Amino acid sequence: MLALLLLGAIAVAGYLWQATTAWEEHAARWESDAHAYAEEVAVLRSELDGVTAELVAAREQLDTATARITDLADEKAQLGDENVASQQYLDYQRRVSEAAGVVATALGQCTAAQSQLIGYLEDRDSYDPDDLERFASDVEGLCDEANDANTQLQQELAQ
Amino acid sequence: MRSAGWRQAVAATAAGLLLGGCAALPEMPPAVPEDIVPTLAAPSLSAEGSDQLSPDGFDAVQRMAVRIRNVGCDALSTGSGFAVDEHTLITNRHVVADSSALQVSTYDGRDLDVSAASTAALADLAVVRTEDPLPSFPRLADDDPEQGDEVTVVGYPAGGRLTVTAGSVIGTTTDPLHENLGEVLVTDAPVEPGSSGSAALDEAGDVIGVVYAKTTDGRSLLVPQSTLRGMLDDASAFTTLEPC
Repeated sequence: MLALLLLGAIAVAGYLWQATTAWEEHAARWESDAHAYAEEVAVLRSELDGVTAELVAAREQLDTATARITDLADEKAQLGDENVASQQYLDYQRRVSEAAGVVATALGQCTAAQSQLIGYLEDRDSYDPDDLERFASDVEGLCDEANDANTQLQQELAQ
Repeated sequence: MRSAGWRQAVAATAAGLLLGGCAALPEMPPAVPEDIVPTLAAPSLSAEGSDQLSPDGFDAVQRMAVRIRNVGCDALSTGSGFAVDEHTLITNRHVVADSSALQVSTYDGRDLDVSAASTAALADLAVVRTEDPLPSFPRLADDDPEQGDEVTVVGYPAGGRLTVTAGSVIGTTTDPLHENLGEVLVTDAPVEPGSSGSAALDEAGDVIGVVYAKTTDGRSLLVPQSTLRGMLDDASAFTTLEPC
């Protein structure tokens, strides 16, 4: 009986020794894996920090680029406004010049007609008084129109 | 006899202890796995705001806004507008009035050709159609905003650079300018001349109104989206704009 017990105890001791050895190897393997994973985590963390820094820099560059695009769009719009305003001013100047030409022509016609009328009046005996009066009236009308046009032009230029 | 009984008892006890002890022996360790899957989620790079971004870095709020140049027969003025579909934008009637030509440009400075424009009689609203596609367009909100709701205005104040301002809805009032039928919205979002036609957006980015005026105390007046929606649903509400 004691022999059986002794054999059992030896068997149990042998099993415990094997289990202890296996658990030691198991723990060593885990520790080794843990070290490897820790190193991998450290590398990945470093890479993540680098990528994050690059992302921050890229975002800052993107913000700068979009702000610059907005500024350029604004500058282009302002230049477009100035171009349109200049074109409108040129159109205005052209209309004023054309009007000034018309006024100058009308005033010249008025002056010429008045000179012609003076000539007729200096030799009034040679002309029918009714014709002279009608001509004088026409000259007055022509000069009134020329003066009105000149007044309008001066008012326009004064604005 | 007593000795034999004692031995049997000891043997039975020893056998019991042996069997019981075997059950308490530690098991052999399992195999260490070759690959370990972490239970924690992997860290991710922040995607803050990326859902709103386009490939060129501008968000949808900026991309839908347009600058409108009204080339009049004797004058020049500017205003703002916003897209409601790929070829249609909304602005104010007074922004496009008395024009010989309308020139539309986008957030990134691109010029878009205008094909037609029409104005509403009962509200300070106008519709402008473009030949070229508009970059982005929001949706109209389902309901008008409530007092206190946040509002964002995007446009070109004073004809300057694209600007986004924020405020909140103060309430409603009858139109002091008598340009609009029904009530208009009052907000404290800052606007300037040139902001007319700007879209006013809610927190979700949906259009709640169209800026059309500024009060003497610095508040902004909006045509509410309900009025805009009603006008857009009624084809007869808009008449073609004839050049001056």
